[in-house]
Parts: sequence; structure tokens; C-alpha cells
Amino acid sequence: MSKALLEVLEPFTSSSEESDYGATGIHRRHTTTLDNLARVCEAFLGAGYIFEMLSCIDLREKEEIMRLCYTFNSLETADRHLVHADIAGGLEAESFEAPSISSLARGADWQERETFEMYGVTFVNHPELERLLLPEDADFFPLRKDFGRIEDAEAQDD
Amino acid sequence: MPETLSQLLDDSVLAMPIAAGLIMGALTINVLMLVWAERKVSAWIQRRMGPTEVGPFGLLQTLADMLKLISKQLITPSNVDKPLFHLAPLLAFAPVIAAVALMPFSKSLILVQNDFGLLFVFAFGGIAVIAIFMAGWGSNNKYALLGAIRSVAQSISYEIPLILSALSVVLVVNAMGFTLASGGSIVVANGLDLSHIVMAQDQHGLWFVLVQPIAAIIYFISALAETNRAPFDIPEAESELVAGFHTEYSGMRFSMFFFAEYTNMLIVSMLAVVLFFGGWDGPVLPGPLWFFLKSYMVIFVMMWVRWTFPRLRFDQLMTFCWKVMIPLSILNLLATAFVVAVL
Amino acid sequence: MTNAVPPEATPGGGDGEVYSLNMGPQHPSMHGVLRLLLDLKGEEVVKAKPVVGYSHRAHEKMAENRNTLQFLPNTSRIDYLSGMIYNLGYCQAIEKILGIEVSERAVYIRVIANELNRISSHLLWFGTFLLDLGGITPFLYSFDDREEILDILDQVTGSRLTYCYGRFGGVTMDVDEDFLARTTAFLARIRERLGMYDDLVAKNVILRERCINVGVISTEMAKSYGVTGPSLRASGVVYDVRRAEPYGGYEKFDFDVPVLHEGDTMARFHIRISEIEESCKIIEQAIKGIPEGAILPKKMPKRFKIPEGEYYFAVESARGHFGMYIVGDGTDVPAKLKLRTPSFSNLSAMPEALAGTMLADTIAIVGSIDVVMPEIDR
Repeated sequence: MSKALLEVLEPFTSSSEESDYGATGIHRRHTTTLDNLARVCEAFLGAGYIFEMLSCIDLREKEEIMRLCYTFNSLETADRHLVHADIAGGLEAESFEAPSISSLARGADWQERETFEMYGVTFVNHPELERLLLPEDADFFPLRKDFGRIEDAEAQDD
Repeated sequence: MPETLSQLLDDSVLAMPIAAGLIMGALTINVLMLVWAERKVSAWIQRRMGPTEVGPFGLLQTLADMLKLISKQLITPSNVDKPLFHLAPLLAFAPVIAAVALMPFSKSLILVQNDFGLLFVFAFGGIAVIAIFMAGWGSNNKYALLGAIRSVAQSISYEIPLILSALSVVLVVNAMGFTLASGGSIVVANGLDLSHIVMAQDQHGLWFVLVQPIAAIIYFISALAETNRAPFDIPEAESELVAGFHTEYSGMRFSMFFFAEYTNMLIVSMLAVVLFFGGWDGPVLPGPLWFFLKSYMVIFVMMWVRWTFPRLRFDQLMTFCWKVMIPLSILNLLATAFVVAVL
Repeated sequence: MTNAVPPEATPGGGDGEVYSLNMGPQHPSMHGVLRLLLDLKGEEVVKAKPVVGYSHRAHEKMAENRNTLQFLPNTSRIDYLSGMIYNLGYCQAIEKILGIEVSERAVYIRVIANELNRISSHLLWFGTFLLDLGGITPFLYSFDDREEILDILDQVTGSRLTYCYGRFGGVTMDVDEDFLARTTAFLARIRERLGMYDDLVAKNVILRERCINVGVISTEMAKSYGVTGPSLRASGVVYDVRRAEPYGGYEKFDFDVPVLHEGDTMARFHIRISEIEESCKIIEQAIKGIPEGAILPKKMPKRFKIPEGEYYFAVESARGHFGMYIVGDGTDVPAKLKLRTPSFSNLSAMPEALAGTMLADTIAIVGSIDVVMPEIDR
């Protein structure tokens, strides 16, 4: 974790703090906005880090946002950075949009497709945003919290 | 009894059908044995047992498989080119039987005596290529077409070193003469006549594998390629193309291709024995027995090679043929011609 | 040297038609249910598009509907060939989050089980890789070796393939002298077998022709796609999670991380064979140094509540970096569990690696990446 990298990231992140690696497995956490996301990615990739994972947390009910979580890691010495970017929108929001970083990190291509089909987050400028794991005609977003809850399932009499 | 049989064969109009029936019967038994041998050899190489249930040592396994194949429904996929699709198995099947008739099983036991036996055998081999392409094209299936394209390219390419290496032996035979048992006069050997080739080896006590080792190796490798055996079995590569050119064939039609492949193996090994290993020559045991024993030894080596090596990629296969085998066989032929002319 | 075949060299010709060929999902060769949509010009692949998702079983959704202990059996089904590594990895993740101590003996047992699993996965890969190339015989020999590992692990865990051997704090059953003796005997056997595989397979000229300079993945491409595991190490990057972020006792053992720089199929082949040898070294050291002791803590909580926050834990599976991203909300049901599986990223590099290669090479390259489809589909 070099000072130079932190300085580059400084203007694009709204918060950046150390995290206890021993307890959480993450060295540093950052929060950024959707507009600055590409710049943050460029900073990490330029410093030789790899794009490790993209995930999404459905916080529409609790905080009226969809939270995107990116991790970047260094292959030389372990240095994992978790970056949050929130998309505003509650339970009634029609769509969620975020910029795609697949042109910067090619591994993001499939990860963004999966996030799209599981949470309904549309990544703008993605070359081919299609369903990856689900059938092409699926019109639901499975990993959202209001989908497929056991208590919502119909009781069946066998 | 033998007299009436040979009279029967010589005189009556039944000669043809009876001879044909005998050949078919012999070849069918041969294919049954070869398939059983293949399964046993592959099993032993792979630390397995192979068929053991049906019959003693699993000998009747192939018979059971044949019966199963015969009893299957003949499925014709829609949109196939009907004449080509139906004709291909027959065309694959027929030439190999004809070629067997030309082989010299012993000094006197040849079904068809012919001055140009070698040429005929190669000619029949060429017809098989047409059958493969008909099967692949007529199947209306991309996998089959790919398999057929590869197979045809492979067959035509490897025919060249095959024939060139056989030609080297022909040159040697033409240079040697040999004495016929009766008469005692030196006969100018006709290199294209299969029985002359064997007699030349017999009389001079020298198997041609020692005289023409390079030709023998080239012949063996080309024979593997001609019969689509591993490591040249790209046309039938199961892990890539399902089953190659015979993907769409089921039941009896498939068994005809199968039959043709194994009989083809037998023919190329019989030819190898005739050209390089002395044909029916051998002490103690009768000629035909030696002939078959040697042919089966060559087939055993072909099976051994199949289960040991992975397969060559198609372009590597073609590169190997055109850049290695053909120049080598041409050089061998030239060297042989030079030596024969000088000596 | 690139994979691109000059147009004149292909049977279809440079300006031949482009036709599409569909390989899979049912296919004699593809590992698991993978569908490859290939656009071909003659024998040259113009474009390759993998279609995945045929074995999607919604593991991540299941994790959000079960408590931490109930999800434990799921973990080894994610990648059934490294089932032990995943299962114990999940245990280690929860232990790290909750601060549960693991006894020394359990740590050593876990290392032995992990490495045995890694060897069995690589042996299976070895057999099936050669099967795809047409050499059917090594498959039976490597499966014979693998059977011995499966029997050894069956003896102590009760399962042959999908293990649920770990518990939070240790392992379920203790190993006895017989287990250690059998493992030591196995190590001698596999070392001898590796010599035979080297002579007959690795030095075979046909295999070398088909694998050298085929499917080259450059270092830059591997890093950009997030490729990890033997495929990354064959492209010149020394990255092994056991070294980079030591976990589960690996810091105690002395082993090398093999690296090659060619990035082709042959390099990936050699790396995996070397990894089998390295795993043997680790198992040897573990057997020698295994201490006496308990395998589970005396007092265990009934419920394993994950404190609020986000956690990430990674292990090195046979295929690469397997990461678990867990979001807790104070209850024992995680708010989110993301499984970052190595084959997902490895396969996403395939379209670029396959473009310009020949059809027969497609099989070799996809086989050499060693993908397990259930891991991609979860």
C-alpha cells in the first residue's frame, strides 16, 4: 500500500480508512461515487493491482441504496482494498445504473453480467450485457432480498 | 471330398457365390476376432480385464455386439442426401473384400492370380476414400462433414508414401530373380505380382524388412494413417467430433463401416507381411498359418501404438506427411533405384 | 509466437465462409456442462463464446437462507473436485471472523487433507486432459492412483468426493496410525508413478507438438482477467494464496511455488505435475510433525453469529484463488455470501485465448485451464 497510490485515490474517494486485516481480511476500505468509479479503478490498475471481485449488496429496504462492492488486490504482497459505490434507489426504484469498468479490467466483463442478472444493476457501456447463469428469458433478479423468500412461498399440500 | 469341392469350384456356375460366401465368412470371423483382440489388448494396456462374461474369455462378445447392431432400427435422419447416405456404407465395404482376394496365402493358395496384384490392392484402397466422403457429405451434419473432409485429405495424402515405399520393394524384386520349384530356370520376377514378391523373399532367404527398413517404417506409419488409426484418428476423434464421418449412421450401416475399418486393417497388415516380412515363408508350420500369424503380429503392433499415443492435430498430421514422409520415401526410392542400377 | 493461423494455411481458405459450430453442452469432451459457440472458418476459430449456467444451483441464495452451520455441506459441492479445500476453507473463514482457536493437531490434519485433495484433483485433470487429446490410457492409471487417495480420505471422513469434514474449530474425526501409514505409502507410490508419467507422457513427442506454443496466455492478459492458480503461474506470475496470505498453518511448511513463463498449454501441464510433487513434500512434513492433541475445542457455541461488517477470506484451491466475501448483520444467517471462484475468471479469459486457434486446439486449451463448471455456475 504505497503512499503514492493513496495520494492518487484521495480526490476520488469520499472516505478511506484502514481495516483490521487479521479480523476481516481487508487491508483498506474506500467509498466512492459512481462518477469517480472509473478513476478509482484506473488508479488501482495503474499501480499494478488486479481486479479481484465485484459483488452487490441489496440495501434497498434498509438504506434505499444498492451497494456495489469491488475488491482490488496486489499479486506481489497481499493488499486488499474494498471499494464501495452506492446506487440510490429504494424498493420501488425502476432501474439501477452504474458505469462499466470492463474496458479497464477485462475480468469485470463476466462479473458485471452476473451482477446484472442477479440484482438488476445495468452497467452502462458494457459490450454485451446478457444473462450469464440464468436462462435468457428469465425476467426476475434472484439475489434481491424480496425474491424467493421462504416465507413468501406458497404452502403446498402433497 | 476335396476333389468334388474343387471340381465344384472350377466348373459350376456356383463357383462365384460359393467363393464369395467363403470369403465373407472368413472375413466376418476375422473381424470378430480382431474386435475381441482390440478390446483385450486395450484392456491389458490399461490395467483392465476387457470382456470376460460372454463366452470363454469373452470371445463371443463381438458376436453379441453384432447381433445387437443388426437388431437396431435403421434411422435415416431427415434432409440427408438419400442416394449418397445409403450407398456410402456399401461402397466402404465392397473394395476391402475384393482386395483380400488378391493376397497370396501360400505358394498355391491364391484366390485370384493376377500379374498386377499390388496395383489392384492400392486401387481398391482408393475407392474407400470416395465412400468416406459420401458418408460425410450425405449426412447433412457439420460434424460428419468436418470428419469427412479431414479423412479424405488424410487418406489421399498418405497414399503417396504408402505407394512409394511399396515401389521401393518392387524395384528390389524386379532386380532379383528367383527359380521356380519345378523347371529350375531363373524367372524374371514381376515386382507387381504379390506372389512373386513373396517367392523372391523365400528363395533368397531374406525378408525385405532387412533390405528396405526405411520403406518398412514409412509403410507402417502410412498404413496407420490410411486406416484412420490413432495417432492419426482425427477423423473419428471422439472427444472432438463425436464420431466423425459416421456420426449419423446407426445399426447395420454403422457395423458396415466398422467391418470395413477392421478388414482394411487386415489388408494393410497382410500387404505389409507380403512386402516386408516374407509372406507365407516360415519353418515347420504351414504357409497360410505363418501368413496369418505375421499379419496378426502387425495388427497387434498397430493396436499397441493406438493405446499408447495421443492423437496428432490435423495440420501437424498433414505437415508430417508432406514435409517428412513423402521426401523420405522419394529419397528411399531414388537410393534403391541407384543401388539396383549399379549392382 | 502467436496462435493465429495465416489464412492461406487453413483448409477453408482465407475468405471462406464463416460457419458456426455448437459444441456441447452434451459432448464427449467438454469438462462439465459447457457450451461453446464457435464461429469457424475452415478449421480456424474466429470467435468463441462460452455459454454457462447449466448447473446453476443458487448456492449464494441458499447461503442467505441458512445459518452458518447449515451452509457447511454446500461448500464442498461448489467445486466437487476440491471439495475438501472449499469445506475447510469455509470453516477457516468463519473461525477467523469469530476468532475461534483451532488446535495444532487439527491444523496439521487439515493441511494433509487439503493437499491430498489437491493431488487427487490434479490427477483427475491429468487423466482427462490426455483423454481429450486422444491418449486414453493414462486416464486409467491416474484414476487408479486417485482411488487410493479417495479410499484414504473415505476411511477418515466417510465420503469419497464431497466432504463435510470440517467443523468450526477443527475437524470431525481424528486420524489414526493407519491413516498416516497409508498416506506415507501413497506418497512413495505417486512419486514413482510421476516418473512413469514423465517418461511416457510429458516427453511424448505428439503431446509436445500439440501443447507447446498452443493457447498462450500472456501475463498482461492473465492479470487483466483475474486468472489465478496454475494458469497464472504458467504465465510467469508467482502468486499462490498459501504464500501471499498464509492461512491454516501453511506458514509452517517448506514448499516451492513452481512458476514458468511460456504461458502455453505445456507450461500449465508442467506446473500441475510440479504441484503434485510440492504437495507430496508438504504432506511429508505434516506427517512428520503432527502433534498429539484434541481435534475440536471443548466448548463450542451453539450458534455462530457473524458480527456486523464485511469480511473476505481466500484459500488456494486446485484451480486458483477461491475467495469468500461475507457480509454479516449480527445474526447467524449471513446477509450476503459471495463466492469468488477461480474457474469463473479463468474461463472468462477463454474467448480471447481461443480466437485464432484451430478447432483441435480448442479442446486442448480449455482442458488445460482446468475448469469445473459447477464452480462457475454455483
